[in-house]
Amino acid sequence: MMEQPHSCCKGAEMLLNLQPTSSVSIQYHPFFGPHDDLVLLELDEKLLSDVLYQRVTLRGQPDEDAVLCTKSKTYSVKFVGTSNSVFLIPPADYSTSHESGGENYNQQVPTASVIKVAPGNMELVEVAPRLDKLKSILSENLYSSDEASTAMGDLYKWDDLINKVQASDDELKAGLQALSAVEIDGYWRIVDEKYMDVILRMLLHNSVLNDWSLDSLVEDKVVSVLESDGFPRKLVYHCLNVYGSRVEEAMDGGVWRLDARRVCVHFARGILREGKRKMESFMEEWLRMIPEEIQPSFDMLEGEVLTEKLGVETWVRALSVSSFPTTPADRFSILFKERAKWEWKDLEPYIRDLNVPGLSSEALLLKYTRRSQPSIDAEPVFSAR
Amino acid sequence: MQIQVKCSCGAEKCPEWAIIELQGVVEVQPSFQHSLQNLQIGLLCRPSSQENYTFTVGYHELTGYKVALKKPMVVLKKIKYMDVERQIDEATSSSSCVELDVVGFIRHKILFKTRPTTLISGPQPTVKEKINAEGA
Repeated sequence: MMEQPHSCCKGAEMLLNLQPTSSVSIQYHPFFGPHDDLVLLELDEKLLSDVLYQRVTLRGQPDEDAVLCTKSKTYSVKFVGTSNSVFLIPPADYSTSHESGGENYNQQVPTASVIKVAPGNMELVEVAPRLDKLKSILSENLYSSDEASTAMGDLYKWDDLINKVQASDDELKAGLQALSAVEIDGYWRIVDEKYMDVILRMLLHNSVLNDWSLDSLVEDKVVSVLESDGFPRKLVYHCLNVYGSRVEEAMDGGVWRLDARRVCVHFARGILREGKRKMESFMEEWLRMIPEEIQPSFDMLEGEVLTEKLGVETWVRALSVSSFPTTPADRFSILFKERAKWEWKDLEPYIRDLNVPGLSSEALLLKYTRRSQPSIDAEPVFSAR
Repeated sequence: MQIQVKCSCGAEKCPEWAIIELQGVVEVQPSFQHSLQNLQIGLLCRPSSQENYTFTVGYHELTGYKVALKKPMVVLKKIKYMDVERQIDEATSSSSCVELDVVGFIRHKILFKTRPTTLISGPQPTVKEKINAEGA
């Protein structure tokens, strides 16, 4: 609402409400200048209220391209220049840091003043969060069994991660979850796989000893037994979280069910850590390690192992999608280094998690692979472009 | 590093700014180069109830129209300040801080993209409009 009558004879308001048969004098503002500190940012209508209500931040290190983050999405920020003359006209009461001085109270003629000629504007493009950095910085200091003696170097609290990782809060939380990270003493940590193995085996061992069902593990019992075996409470909960899920229907809460796939994948990775194995040898050891209650099946391992035929033998080796970069170009590059040609059924588990806003998986394949089909009834095969 | 985007005027009171856009360059006579403040660029008129406009710069007359931007824009002001408290905080490696303040939004512009017509009479202009080589 206009308070003073003379302010509607000036500035942007004047210009935007110019009446028929009226005119306005366009002038250089008293404080006209380059004003490099004034920047135009173009955004989608739906982002406007997030910006106005102070729900967005810019994130990035000085050597990175800045990204703009809402609570749940990440956008890259790019400058787009124009060859047109874009005269920027502020509202009548706009002043820079200088005080009055520019007021022309004697103005009878309606005026609108140009504060700056804008060379262009910033644009936003939605991007996938840059989470590879999260994994690498948290892997610097894995939490292991001899934590006391090895806890040195950089550890990261939530606020440190916000400062370092170019992702929105929600995407960062999801990234931490995907890495099975756990917050210990305020610091986010990834637990060493070998340590997780020790805790899991102890849990399984105790299940047999105490006749616990893996489908309904009582939280309080599990935690107290493993704590008395010397494991930190936090890590016991973490183990339940990583390998199981809470049973929602349980009356008094605190009941967990182990997830068959996660347990089977864990043991497969353990077996293959030292290198590839012949299929028979792998299967024999794998089946032996898996607890009786759990029914394993080989397709639980998709996206985690690759089978190859070498001569008449079939071999299995570890190749976990979780170890790959999240950017499509890097992902495909690594995949084709591992294997020059892929059939769709083998390739799909290794690209199904790729997230590029605006690009479907077909579009991704088109962009990053060459598709060939040796003969009409053969399976199509994908290789590097 | 995190830079907060603020709106110190408050979302509801955030004012609307305007843009006049031309395909061309406005030139100021050399003797006026250093005293641009309050110098008139030209006269903008709205002849009828339509959203058509004329803009007279020097002896050129441009015709254009008001158009809603496909996507709104915000005007951001970069504010640099020295934060004494933050100098102690090791999370920020430098002792100066940058904030962005939303000082306005833009939804409309008045766009001139046709070749100007030349006015025959009129005083010697202190400001004139020069057609861009790539102009319409």
